[in-house]
Amino acid sequence: MIGKKKKLSMANRIFHIVNTMIWILVMFIILYPLYLVIIASVSDPDAIIRGEVIWHPVDFSLMGYKAVFKYGELIHSYGNSIIYTFTSVVLSIAVTLSAAYTLSRPKFKGKGLINFYFVFTMFFGGGLIPTFLVMRDVHLYNTPLVIILMGCVSVWNLMVARTYIQSSIPNELYEASMLDGASHFQYFFRLVLPLSKTIIAVLAVYYGVGKWNDYFTGLVYLRDRNLLPLQTILREILATLQVDKSGDYMMSMADNMESMSEAMRVANVAKYCIIVVATGPVVILYGFMQKYFEKGVMIGSLKG
Amino acid sequence: MGVKRGASTAPAKQSPHKRKGVVGKEYWKNNWQLYVLILPAIIYFFVFHYLPLYGIQIAFKDYKAVSGIWGSAWVGLKHFKAFFEAYYFKRLLLNTFLLNIYNLLWSFPIPIILAILLNQIRGDRKKRFIQTTIYVPYFISTVVLAGMLYIFLSPTSGIFNVVRQAMGFRAIDYMADAGAFRTIYILSGIWQGAGYGTILYIATLSGIDQSLYEAAEIDGASIWQKIRYIDIPSLMPTIMMVFILDCGKLLSSNTDKALVMQTAGNIPTSDIIGVYVYNVGLGSGQFSYTAAIGLFINLINFVMIMGVNKISKKTTDVGLF
Repeated sequence: MIGKKKKLSMANRIFHIVNTMIWILVMFIILYPLYLVIIASVSDPDAIIRGEVIWHPVDFSLMGYKAVFKYGELIHSYGNSIIYTFTSVVLSIAVTLSAAYTLSRPKFKGKGLINFYFVFTMFFGGGLIPTFLVMRDVHLYNTPLVIILMGCVSVWNLMVARTYIQSSIPNELYEASMLDGASHFQYFFRLVLPLSKTIIAVLAVYYGVGKWNDYFTGLVYLRDRNLLPLQTILREILATLQVDKSGDYMMSMADNMESMSEAMRVANVAKYCIIVVATGPVVILYGFMQKYFEKGVMIGSLKG
Repeated sequence: MGVKRGASTAPAKQSPHKRKGVVGKEYWKNNWQLYVLILPAIIYFFVFHYLPLYGIQIAFKDYKAVSGIWGSAWVGLKHFKAFFEAYYFKRLLLNTFLLNIYNLLWSFPIPIILAILLNQIRGDRKKRFIQTTIYVPYFISTVVLAGMLYIFLSPTSGIFNVVRQAMGFRAIDYMADAGAFRTIYILSGIWQGAGYGTILYIATLSGIDQSLYEAAEIDGASIWQKIRYIDIPSLMPTIMMVFILDCGKLLSSNTDKALVMQTAGNIPTSDIIGVYVYNVGLGSGQFSYTAAIGLFINLINFVMIMGVNKISKKTTDVGLF
């Protein structure tokens, strides 16, 4: 009996050692590429080309960042993205939460039909081309509105929010305020909203990240260059990266750079800086919201 | 999330819609505000999801901008026939299917394994740190992910080729290699999504009754045995659910990612339906033809998810609806 126990604890110990090693490896795989981008963004381009930047920055320099911030179109699109993301997140949260509240009321008549109306869109849709033509017909094509509104409510988020309201706001509260003669508006704005901070944070992360990271909507539905969001502009820079003529593109970025070869040199480090600048806000947002994020997702997924 | 969603959609069958007449004045007086609150969402879905359904008709028409969606002439199944007979038909279908099936086979099990292993980590702070970190790649945009791939895999300065050359091999231009496209697509997808994919499983695992583990320990169960006889059976309904959803997507495409990863060199494998529809539809303005392709794929996907759902319901009693 004791021998068996010993063998068991031995097996468990081996499991924990292997498990720890696996996780160290996983953490490395996840974090190293991100780390590499950051250290390369502050290194000297020649050192990057020579393949010397592997564990730490080499010949520290901020020339990449300087070039990025001088590049007018990029900065302009950055501003566009901030506006699009902020507006659409506020709108998304408002529309999602109010609809989720209605769906969470047990006495709401028409729930089955409206649920079907929403869920059906998860399984069948018009597809890219019919959607594009319809957007043109309703005059949303090439307007900032199409970027803000497209994807404004996701069925998934709506269901998570409904579950949250159902499960985390005590029903007694509802009964009591209804007895006091409160209307749905009063109850929703005075009690549900203040008690929904967690789910609001979760929705802000989901909608915000989705909007910030989307390049495709801008690519398909916008024609004016000065309306384009950041990611669509990034894709163009990327398109020049893949044929390895990023230098040409960066030339326009660095108009006061002495020569073509200097511009090429800067381009080699600027691409790392662009990644940092474009991804920074999202990771920071996640960092701030992370506490709520996990909690909200768990609630949504456990009881959804 | 999906496991119990069935419960919420089930009341659809007893929708009170038909009995509207019975709903009294009292009800409307007390509850009209509910309908005001849900109205914006209804309008949103109408404009962005139901109006495009009306646009599907151009798949059966020859779309002309001057005549519009409604006014263009009907041509029946012309565009579908053209697609089935097209030179690219087989390649597109095969590329899309293979990319998705390999992706499913490789990407599907990893979040499950990670969730089970994470569950065994002792110490809450360590666990929380890992959990927070593994979600991070999910927040990186498709464009940036592709940008990182181009940079790291670059034949001249990419870290993979720097290492290869240091070991005496010659450099490879991976992004222009049709044979490498699927591997890169899938591995980068795992890097980005596997951590995030654990959320559902972790939620299920944390809901397991602790007394089960205690009882198993008294009986002298090892960690392996606990995983095999408690964790995995408890995860099964969630696993099935995610599997059904994934099966329904076997012919749909992650257009935006494949589009940014497409280069002249990897077209033989990276040309998938979504990318083709984008390039030919919006690029060359063949609206009706590509709308027909889109509809064809949507229908297959729809049938597939319904089919898998039915099979799953019959064999394991787990279903979406």
